[in-house]
Amino acid sequence: MKVDLYEIMSRAKFSRRRMLQGSAALGATAMMPSVMGFGPALAQDNVRAQILAIPGVGAGSPTDADWQKVGELCLGATKANVAEGEFAGVELTFFGINNNGLHNILFRGLLKGWETYTGAKINWIDLAQADYNPRLQQNIATGTVDFDILAMGAPLEGDTASKGLLDEMPDWVKAQIEMDDYVNYLKAPVGTWDGKTYRISIDGDCHTFAYRTDYFGEGAIGGAEVPKTWQEVNAVSKALAGQTDPLTGLPAHGYLDPLKGWGGFGFYFLENRAAAYAKHPADPAWLFDADTMKPRVNNPAWVQAIQDVMDLIATPNAYPADQINADPGTTGFSQFLAGTGSMLTWWGDIGSNARTSDTSVVGDVIGFGINRGSDKVYNSQAGAWEETYNESPNMAYLGWGVYVTNRVSGDEKKRKAAWSAAAHLGGKDLSLWMSAYPSGFQPYRNSHFQYDEWEAAGYDRAFVEDYLGSNADSYNHPNAAIEPRIPGIFQYYSVAEDELAKGYAGQYASAQETADAIAAAWEKITDQIGRESQIALYKASLGM
Amino acid sequence: MSGAGDLLHVVSNDTISARRKTFARLIIWGSGLLLLGVGAAQTLHSTGNAALGFENWRPTLYAYVAWAICLCWGQVLLHGENGKRTLFVLPAALFVISLTVFPLLFGLIIAFSDWNLSSPTGRHFNGLDNVRQMLADPFYWNAMTNMVWYTLAILVEYAIAFGLALALNAEIRARKFFRVAFLLPLMLSPVAVSWMIGKSMLEPRFGPVARLARELGWENPSFFGDPNVAKATIMIMDAWTFIPFMMIMILAGLQAIPKELSEAAKVDGATGWRAFWEVTFPLMLPVSITAILIRIIFKLKLADIVIAVTSGGPGGATDTVTSFIFREYRDRSNVGYGTLLAMVYLVVIIIAMTLLMKLADRITRPRT
Repeated sequence: MKVDLYEIMSRAKFSRRRMLQGSAALGATAMMPSVMGFGPALAQDNVRAQILAIPGVGAGSPTDADWQKVGELCLGATKANVAEGEFAGVELTFFGINNNGLHNILFRGLLKGWETYTGAKINWIDLAQADYNPRLQQNIATGTVDFDILAMGAPLEGDTASKGLLDEMPDWVKAQIEMDDYVNYLKAPVGTWDGKTYRISIDGDCHTFAYRTDYFGEGAIGGAEVPKTWQEVNAVSKALAGQTDPLTGLPAHGYLDPLKGWGGFGFYFLENRAAAYAKHPADPAWLFDADTMKPRVNNPAWVQAIQDVMDLIATPNAYPADQINADPGTTGFSQFLAGTGSMLTWWGDIGSNARTSDTSVVGDVIGFGINRGSDKVYNSQAGAWEETYNESPNMAYLGWGVYVTNRVSGDEKKRKAAWSAAAHLGGKDLSLWMSAYPSGFQPYRNSHFQYDEWEAAGYDRAFVEDYLGSNADSYNHPNAAIEPRIPGIFQYYSVAEDELAKGYAGQYASAQETADAIAAAWEKITDQIGRESQIALYKASLGM
Repeated sequence: MSGAGDLLHVVSNDTISARRKTFARLIIWGSGLLLLGVGAAQTLHSTGNAALGFENWRPTLYAYVAWAICLCWGQVLLHGENGKRTLFVLPAALFVISLTVFPLLFGLIIAFSDWNLSSPTGRHFNGLDNVRQMLADPFYWNAMTNMVWYTLAILVEYAIAFGLALALNAEIRARKFFRVAFLLPLMLSPVAVSWMIGKSMLEPRFGPVARLARELGWENPSFFGDPNVAKATIMIMDAWTFIPFMMIMILAGLQAIPKELSEAAKVDGATGWRAFWEVTFPLMLPVSITAILIRIIFKLKLADIVIAVTSGGPGGATDTVTSFIFREYRDRSNVGYGTLLAMVYLVVIIIAMTLLMKLADRITRPRT
């Protein structure tokens, strides 16, 4: 769980009554196996209830002692596959980031019991978040991979799996971590390359739609209904220009597009608009033609998305002043949470900060949903619009996973040890704890959305259902827009940001011309990285 | 040992045998050949022309260190005490060469390569392709044009810095306090300046400067929305940070002017403006030129404020060459092209600074 989300849930909604409820439920759950005679299934439930009580919702942030305790309690799956002391003498190196109390710092505690039981020893390569990518890219480019286990985001699979740097996941690991429990979009092809599985997911990512509940409803300034399509979003945004925000008394605004780049991450936000137009349910590809790598970014669907933004730029007061200089950080935190604007798409941080951040004023007037749809969708293969409703949640960034590198491939004992450690971190029960307490990771398994467990542990059910429900609906959507895991994907995004900035500033004559400039720049990148290899890798990443 | 020779500078005058000299030449040339051999073998291995089993470039490094040691040792063997004197400088010179010349050479190799870190085929030479791409790159030339504007703004900064220096040089109250106070912006990190001023004080809705602008009648104040306003705002933020630097240099220059000169000018009837224009300003020219040249060097490296506040926008209006190279290199892993841009920029800076220094020399040379 993201730290902020934990704080909101534990701080704002915790009460003595809830604690008693939680304790009673936990006590009851703990007693059930012996009373009712149920075996292993309930033993697992017992573990889940036990770990959710460590340290207990509202009892402050977990400490290293808590992580170690949780890690030990979740060793059941490991013990089924590994004998005690089986990995004595094995040393593994783990590469990841060292954000305070999260990621590697947390993994150390969670793996302590595993190390004691198996006899293996883990050495840690801790990197600051900003140093992570350059170090990894440098290792890859110079052939100096010096680690056995790697925590990594799925978009980088194109830079690693495609180059044969990863070790294929053994079948026993798939069984141990119960991969079938993953939400739909994290199942293959994500985590796989050329049909081989490499990733143990420990996180999920997607953009969801957040809106101000006080803008919508009977008599509200935004209309009776929350906009369902991007066409409606734009119509409402234009109509709101010149009105007054019901909460702050300042000028009212509709949807907040970030018009400034954000190191490549800003492009995800144009994708949110484009997904409904461009991601056809019958076609997994939506950024490039899979057979040629010809960019689709200048097809009518994407041009429509860019045009939508340009229309709002051209509408006086549709955006807040200086929007041309607003990046996603600004739209999310300086604008939406501070009461400016009524609609936004973002990662989970907005939901979690809405009630916990001191600068947020929208905690009580915020609602969530999946990415907006469209009343038409472009069929790229037919080259024509189809007048039918379409929606497509944007799985921006795809979350963190644990991978094993090919350094261990030649040593079966070491290989098994590395996969066992990774499987322990990605285990079903341990992952529930990680999604419920500060870890830096979001829920990503269907079993994480059993709200009864959360309620029993003392969480506020209403908020969990609203906020996490929008995530669950996005994850399991049949037409989710999946990020292409090809080498250099952020290069494409970065150069697109530069061209979009010119387009938004009026330096190109039209949305089409802007899109054409992006497409030309993307073609250059594809040629530089290697078109044939990119085609093969793009297809592999789409599971084609 | 003999008593003949240059005993003024040399304590002992060694008699060096022919055998010793031969040995010295042998180790110098031998280690040199070893270095060349290892280097050539590694080059053949890395270019794929021979499979010699090298895992990294350390053998060449070790051969270089061995050659450097033999070269130093050889100087003593060849020249005796004079050789020992050489040892005071030679190791340092070799060290500097290793840290400047070699990286520069490697940089040039990379600059003429197509090297995208994400490319599975790695680095390969592409001749002048990067140069052609640069010549046709509208983002680079836009950034170059912006640099001209940013550099021209130094004239205004100089005028303000001179004014402040004159004020602080005068007999005013709390002069020491103001000297320290005016220096404070220079001590701040440009990133902190970006956040405190660019992101907070100039925030268009709640920022104090925006509120003041609204009070003064600017309905929708936006400091980074319009290209020209954005460029001016970046110039002002950068100027705020660096004017104190120029000011302190000019102040030091002003304090070095003998009081007799201004007193003599006063006796001759020069008024305030005239005294400044005819006496103070010409005397301050060498200091002024130095301050401006150093400021230009700083200015040409401007990137942090731009990256943090505008990312080069709106539409490239505030982009600088350095911030563009940063995006090309970091965000797009385009190492070859990014290095070429940096190399070309280095050459442009060197040429421009050389011309400016020649010009400055001509201006400040006493007229005879």
